[in-house]
Amino acid sequence: MNIQHHIGDDTLMAYVNGTLPETISVVVATHLAICPECRKNVALMEDIAALYLVESEPAYHVDADPTAPDIQQLDPEIATAASTKYQTDKGVPNPLADRMPVHLEDIPWKKLIPGISHYPLSVADGSRKKGVLRLLKIAPGTPMPEHSHSGQEITMILRGSYIDDLGRFQTGDIADLDDEVWHQPVADTDKDCICLIATSAPLKFSGFFSRLLQPLVGI
Amino acid sequence: MATGDDVRRDVTEKAAKPIDLDQDLIAIATSQDQGAYQRVFHAIAPRLKTFLMVQGTIESIAEEILQETMLKVWQKARLFDGSKASASTWIYTIARNAKIDRFRKETRLVPDPNDPSYIPDSPETGEQSVTKKQESNHIKEAIATLPSDQLRIIMVSFYEEKSHTEISEELGIPLGTVKSRIRLAFGKIRNELKGVS
Ligand SMILES: [Zn+2]
Repeated sequence: MNIQHHIGDDTLMAYVNGTLPETISVVVATHLAICPECRKNVALMEDIAALYLVESEPAYHVDADPTAPDIQQLDPEIATAASTKYQTDKGVPNPLADRMPVHLEDIPWKKLIPGISHYPLSVADGSRKKGVLRLLKIAPGTPMPEHSHSGQEITMILRGSYIDDLGRFQTGDIADLDDEVWHQPVADTDKDCICLIATSAPLKFSGFFSRLLQPLVGI
Repeated sequence: MATGDDVRRDVTEKAAKPIDLDQDLIAIATSQDQGAYQRVFHAIAPRLKTFLMVQGTIESIAEEILQETMLKVWQKARLFDGSKASASTWIYTIARNAKIDRFRKETRLVPDPNDPSYIPDSPETGEQSVTKKQESNHIKEAIATLPSDQLRIIMVSFYEEKSHTEISEELGIPLGTVKSRIRLAFGKIRNELKGVS
């Protein structure tokens, strides 16, 4: 895999300090599974965070007992043994795979508009205000309705590719967009483009048709 | 971030330096060393508690999280791999995950190297001569080169674990400025680190 577009440092930092919404964390962690480069950036940020911890001045007295717990230590061989959950291949890495009922090839797509289908994925914190997570399938040549975001939108390409004002995005790539970015992706090969999309808040659509579409589409 | 003076004072107070934490973790793993555990406890627990209280955690919960963290440090010591992370980073991630698990419905989402879809790191091509200790000194030097507006955001993000939105409100600057300062800061840090390795 030749990844050209990575996760922005601002998003990675929010992932590291634990302030990223769950929907977006799913996309980030799924990309990290296939991207040594982004994992290296995460490792650097964790090193920095750890420096802030170990070199800070302690200001509180600890009540907890400092003696070692009287319990068995984990055996590395057992703790890192491949878990049985990977017996069913879903064609995508975790944690996305955990949230899919079936293999990517067998997703029961729901049609949104001609050429575009989706499949919503549930997250533990399911309130829509916290954003949504979904799979999106774009048929070759179909333009997505032009839209911008009222929050953050992050996309990972799982199959195929698309092209928009910001460049060409292929399997494994990430489009990490701030709000107020307008874009209109088009699947640019003869294959469907399948993406994982997370938002931190619902999207705004531009144009009369898109505004009509918005309540229906909900993306 | 500690200044040079703070670091020296830490040494005189016999606080565990990162290099000692590494040795102590190995001693815990190989011989269930009580003394090593207590050294790690005294080095980490008061700082972690302070960290959590600065972030607004109430004291009883801060105690719970630090106990959970120290329990995991003991239990998982044999999984620690000094070639992958320094001891302080390893302990930090355990503490952060304990905190997230305490406050969220969902456990922290992380990639899993046992996943057949996982793409492992390519073997290191650079020289491995830079130790973790030297590396953390390089990181400190790189951070020291940041302009104060970027440094402040990095500090608030890591030490106080504030979100971009919270930082934007607290500093009265647009969200986009917070994000672009973070990107600039890490670009500069990586550049500085490239220069020394
Ligand atoms: Zn990446």
